[in-house]
Amino acid sequence: MSNTGWATGAPLTTTPDWVDELLLAGDDRDVCLHFGSPVDRAALRHAVADRENTLRRLGLARGGAIALRLPPSLAYAANLLAAWRIGAQVALLDHRLTAFETDRALDRLQPQVVVSFTGTLPGGLRAFYDVTDVAQARDGHPAATGHAVIQLSSGSTGPSKVIARTAEQLVAEIDRYTRMDGVPLPGERVVLLASVVHVLGLVGGLLYCLHAGVELVLPERLTVDAILRAVAAGDAPTTLLGVPFHTELLASNPNPPKLPQLKRMTTGGELVRAEVAQRFTDRYGIVLGNMYGMTEVGVIATDLFGEHRPSLMPAPGITVRESGGELLIATPESPYVGLSDPTRWVDGWLHTKDAGRVDPATGLMTVLGRLDSQVSVGGLKVDLTEVEHTLAALPGVESAVVVYDGGIEAYAVVPDAAAAATLEGELAVRLAPYKRPRVLHIVEQLPRTATGKLVRDHAVLRTADAKPAT
Amino acid sequence: MLASYGERSPEQVRERIDSLELAWLVHQVEQRHGRMLDLDDDVLVRMTTVTGAVEVLAEVLAEPAGD
Repeated sequence: MSNTGWATGAPLTTTPDWVDELLLAGDDRDVCLHFGSPVDRAALRHAVADRENTLRRLGLARGGAIALRLPPSLAYAANLLAAWRIGAQVALLDHRLTAFETDRALDRLQPQVVVSFTGTLPGGLRAFYDVTDVAQARDGHPAATGHAVIQLSSGSTGPSKVIARTAEQLVAEIDRYTRMDGVPLPGERVVLLASVVHVLGLVGGLLYCLHAGVELVLPERLTVDAILRAVAAGDAPTTLLGVPFHTELLASNPNPPKLPQLKRMTTGGELVRAEVAQRFTDRYGIVLGNMYGMTEVGVIATDLFGEHRPSLMPAPGITVRESGGELLIATPESPYVGLSDPTRWVDGWLHTKDAGRVDPATGLMTVLGRLDSQVSVGGLKVDLTEVEHTLAALPGVESAVVVYDGGIEAYAVVPDAAAAATLEGELAVRLAPYKRPRVLHIVEQLPRTATGKLVRDHAVLRTADAKPAT
Repeated sequence: MLASYGERSPEQVRERIDSLELAWLVHQVEQRHGRMLDLDDDVLVRMTTVTGAVEVLAEVLAEPAGD
């Protein structure tokens, strides 16, 4: 159960060939990925070399900038690794972003090459896609910084934050995983339920598994049956990696099949609710572990044996402290590029905007919830302020409040019924599906405090008079 | 059935169904009816509203169980 037998003891180091040395190395016939069918190291190296040729032909070079707008797929993994082999900076754009959001991101990032996909994606419950990737050169600029990866995060002041990490930081995160007890071991399998485009699935899934020699399996679909079939398809000890929703989904199966190879489930994001965690461990008889991390840092703290719940132990090499009720993470450099809220990173400390505490005696930390307007929708962070600003900026909207009450809900004052009728369509153009309000209330007026501030209390908002349909 | 995800009241369930709720709904229906639903992508896309999901399930469950 311990990793200490294979961790070298010395931190991994980053060389210019880090992709080859730390991720792609291994026996030709060693199956490393499973996107619908097994992919061995020889096939992965071939796919990467193929993309590398394409990207170089388009002029991408060391220090260049590329954006990937691909759904979870072998094409995504191959393009990512190819661009890193070239030494380019890769911006990862969620394929669910609307054309409007994608254009805005490309305007901001100015990459020299964009890799997208042809055709429309099949809908519904997919963990991965079989896509044809298309790389196109555009009139962009080389990377302005030496970072290897750029991710956009829903920003609290409207425009998204640009979060950047260097190859050294990615390698250091892979190294943290190798030093933690309770992560999948070489020769084992991971069935990945989280998106391979976001930090948990990207580093904890794809990069760690490639490095450690753990087979990474994506189920055909994200249904209970397909997930359990993916587990049953191999004999090696298997870990499920996902977000709390996946635990809740699996826990609802009263009679799961006996799967002796299923060893553990680990979730990232918020904590699995206590009764769901209990039901899951009762029904599957396996350990439910928990991780806490951020796009800016990757994995920060873990409880992979479910023994400290709801607390977590900071990962090796991570220093956490509490200041004014907020959790701060020691990070030598700011992870933000360009204009950004100066309160997010101060003097070597990243402000998580998560309320929490650190027990000085044990070192265990506990996350108590968000201090800002971010919410988690299916493991993806959404800033309610971004949604609210987008809604308030639409034609005909006089004022708007967006709150979270089991789902994103919007309240808006829109005197013109014709304008009100177009709002959902307008939002669909501007916001990715997971950011859109699940319900849009058109009201006569929004409740305000005595000093005129908009009230964000759910109970009060529900009493706002609905505007009669005209 | 959707309300059982996240322990909501039926009034808290919205018309639009997101992908997490869809996975939940398909699983709940499979359990309640003791059969696998082999839904293709066009059908799943229709199930992104409560109204659409009710229509689809009425059609699918009216078919004889089998392959």
